[in-house]
Amino acid sequence: MTGPVVPVAAPLPEEGRVRAMARLYATLMRTAVVEQFQYRASNYFYMIGMVAEPVVYLVVWSTIARSTGGSVEGYTPGRFAAYYIVWTLVRNMNIVFTPYGWEERVRQGQLAGQLLQPMHPIHHDLASFAGWKVVVIILWLPIAGVLTIAFRPELNPTLLQGVVFFVAIWGAYLIRSLLLWVLGMVTFWTTRVSALYEAYFVAELLLSGRLVPLALMPGWAQSVAGLLPFKWTFGFPITALVGPIDRRELLVGLGAQLLWIIIGALLVKAVWRIGVRRFTAVGG
Amino acid sequence: MRADRTSAPDAARLTVLFLRIGALNELQYRANFFIQLMQSLLALATGLVVLALVFDRTDELGGWSRPQLLAVLGVFTLMGGIIRSVIQPNMQRLLEEIRLGTLDYLLLKPEDGQVLASIREVRIWQAVDILVGGVVVAAAVVQLEGRVGWLEAASFLGLLALGATTIYCFWLMLAAAGFWLVRMDEVQELFTGIYRAGAYPVGIYPGWLRAVLTFLVPLAFAVTVPAEAVTGRLEQGNAALALGMTAALVLVSRRVFRMGLRRYSGASA
Amino acid sequence: MAAVDAVIAVEDLRKVFSVPVRDAGLKAAARSLVRRRTREVAAVDGISFTIDPGEVVGFLGPNGAGKTTTLKMLSGLLHPTSGQVHVLGHRPQRRERALLRQLTLVMGNRNQLQWDLPALDSFELNRAIYRIPPREFTQMRDELIDLLDLGPLVHKPVRNLSLGERMKVEIAAALLHRPVVLFLDEPTIGLDVTMQRRVRSFVAEYNRRHGASVLLTSHYMADVRALCRRVIVIHHGRVLFDGDLAALGARFSTDKTIVVRLPDLDAAMIARLGAYATVLGTEADSVTLRVPRADAPGVTARLLSELAVADLTVEDPPIDDVIEDVFAVEPP
Repeated sequence: MTGPVVPVAAPLPEEGRVRAMARLYATLMRTAVVEQFQYRASNYFYMIGMVAEPVVYLVVWSTIARSTGGSVEGYTPGRFAAYYIVWTLVRNMNIVFTPYGWEERVRQGQLAGQLLQPMHPIHHDLASFAGWKVVVIILWLPIAGVLTIAFRPELNPTLLQGVVFFVAIWGAYLIRSLLLWVLGMVTFWTTRVSALYEAYFVAELLLSGRLVPLALMPGWAQSVAGLLPFKWTFGFPITALVGPIDRRELLVGLGAQLLWIIIGALLVKAVWRIGVRRFTAVGG
Repeated sequence: MRADRTSAPDAARLTVLFLRIGALNELQYRANFFIQLMQSLLALATGLVVLALVFDRTDELGGWSRPQLLAVLGVFTLMGGIIRSVIQPNMQRLLEEIRLGTLDYLLLKPEDGQVLASIREVRIWQAVDILVGGVVVAAAVVQLEGRVGWLEAASFLGLLALGATTIYCFWLMLAAAGFWLVRMDEVQELFTGIYRAGAYPVGIYPGWLRAVLTFLVPLAFAVTVPAEAVTGRLEQGNAALALGMTAALVLVSRRVFRMGLRRYSGASA
Repeated sequence: MAAVDAVIAVEDLRKVFSVPVRDAGLKAAARSLVRRRTREVAAVDGISFTIDPGEVVGFLGPNGAGKTTTLKMLSGLLHPTSGQVHVLGHRPQRRERALLRQLTLVMGNRNQLQWDLPALDSFELNRAIYRIPPREFTQMRDELIDLLDLGPLVHKPVRNLSLGERMKVEIAAALLHRPVVLFLDEPTIGLDVTMQRRVRSFVAEYNRRHGASVLLTSHYMADVRALCRRVIVIHHGRVLFDGDLAALGARFSTDKTIVVRLPDLDAAMIARLGAYATVLGTEADSVTLRVPRADAPGVTARLLSELAVADLTVEDPPIDDVIEDVFAVEPP
């Protein structure tokens, strides 16, 4: 072969894994913050719309508490107020990449782009939604202030409760992210998924503590809820801050969250592997 | 000559025509019927669970008995169906076109802009909620055991029509706000969220919130008042107020929309 | 020896898809709900080739020939049905980090950048994803900004860029990790002529500087002529030709197409034009002619001076036409 002498192509050296991962999360979170602040009006509309739901529950249950001797299962109007105001923050922490987004992702070819990257794409979702949470919490503060003035919550958490709450809302975020990722990956096999998603969301609504504090549900429903992940993403973080809860229950709760994070991560890993194999067999 | 005046009979004829075409379009996606039916039933089931939990502890909520609250839930579902099948889709499209500046096509047509903007879209499968809500109202009436006569039924239907009109006018003003404000993307989320408050009679809310839900977002007239009619709780004053409120909203919203249009054509010229 | 050194080695590669068969009619539609009938279609049907380090190869063929399917198998997005693929000694379908860090796939009309943010933010992201050390990142970023003339573009939100500008930024983002293997699928599609030229010279320069191997598909003959000494032509999933572009036959690189617009176009005029060159086709007010490259200036000058020409453009014939012509294959 005669020809110009070409330089020998060599791959770039690689940065350390931990450092690159930290940089990835920092960059994605910062990117998400900038992006979501651009959409703060939309974010606000969305949040105010969302607040109606707990306000309805709160009004209904405070009315009942007042008309039945001051409390329901130990919940006074003031504690209901605390429950449903903390609810609004926990609900925001529960917003993650939706299963419906998966169809879009596959159809528009974004998934193919992600498959070419030397990184598991879940990090992208985890990091950017976590960044969004920062914006959400800042925007949420005035709403919480208004609700506090309007409904006068009784909230006296201990320091331990506060710390556990802070950890638990991120645990909740992680569990729900992982589980909805698994649910979304059903799209690898079929696109007729909305019935499945809706059923999942209703089960979650009833058995998570989002509709009413689980203490108000019948005993059998509480037993079922104990076996499912939902209450660890919703009712537990709220109760951790609002009480009544003792030290043992707080630790058991964190343990249960850890367990569900492990289960979720294993499911994500397994389903992703099988799903990608299918995706690359049939073509996007 | 003003080309954008459309007489009432013409408007009615146009509406029927457009709705028919929209419906024919949607009929091609029949699988959506079952998805919608399932969503409606799940939402209804959730509402019933709450009612069961509530009446497990008490016999009345803010002066409303169980069958009466069931009627409220029914009207809420029914009105939600009307909103999501004909009102919201049109208003969202209007908002989108205002934002993108593609409203010109609509303004070129020799008919009233407001009429055209309000009848171009119909989601017939969302109307499943109208059926489901109707069944729930009927069930509530049966449980009320004969306290509902023809008069109540007639005033119910009349007030339902007024209620739907108030919501339409409210949405029209919301969409018209897009002529002045740019970022209205999630306004539908905002409305959908606030509408949830209508699942209970506005009387149970604290005073300030009741005022908001009566005069700012007219859920009181859309859901509570028709429900009062069908459960025999209606006071004459409320019916008159509903009529007055509707008339006022019709006039104001039309005014606002026209002002917006003027601003739009002024800006794009 | 050659197989070991080759950057890309493909041997008897096949990809078979099963596609649902749809018969017309309501009855058939109802039947297909119960049991879907499928048919096997070989998109890629036993192709073999190797590509050496630093080579730039044109991968040509009409639409549906199997180009994109092959590129997807080479980059690990599709599993081969049978046969072997090796890229840098790896099997792409296993999607190993070590390989993914060294290749890139650029597809025209596909956006991988953060829409609402300046491209610099997307660059930062890729830096983390590909674990590029700080020094190499800065150096590579600045080099790409310079070579592609990105200057102020990288500071603007991507949504505010024109199509061509976006493509340049897209290419920069795809090359930040200094890939050793580039798959370019229609990188110039939809771009204006100046921008096409820019992208072309950039690819050549990147290849020269870093010794990367490039496999490129394009509808534009100019891309291929400017960049590729060697071309692989596939059709119906099979390799028709693999060799020097120059060896492809006289017409391939030597013909020109002249499109003439005439105000008074009729049958007599078309017959008259036939005297100048071969008439390829006619439209309402224009005629497409083909002449040998060397004759193009002469014919153009004669057309302009002897006829009332409204407009005239000289182009390369579309690759698809040339392939049909050279290989006498039927159009897809």
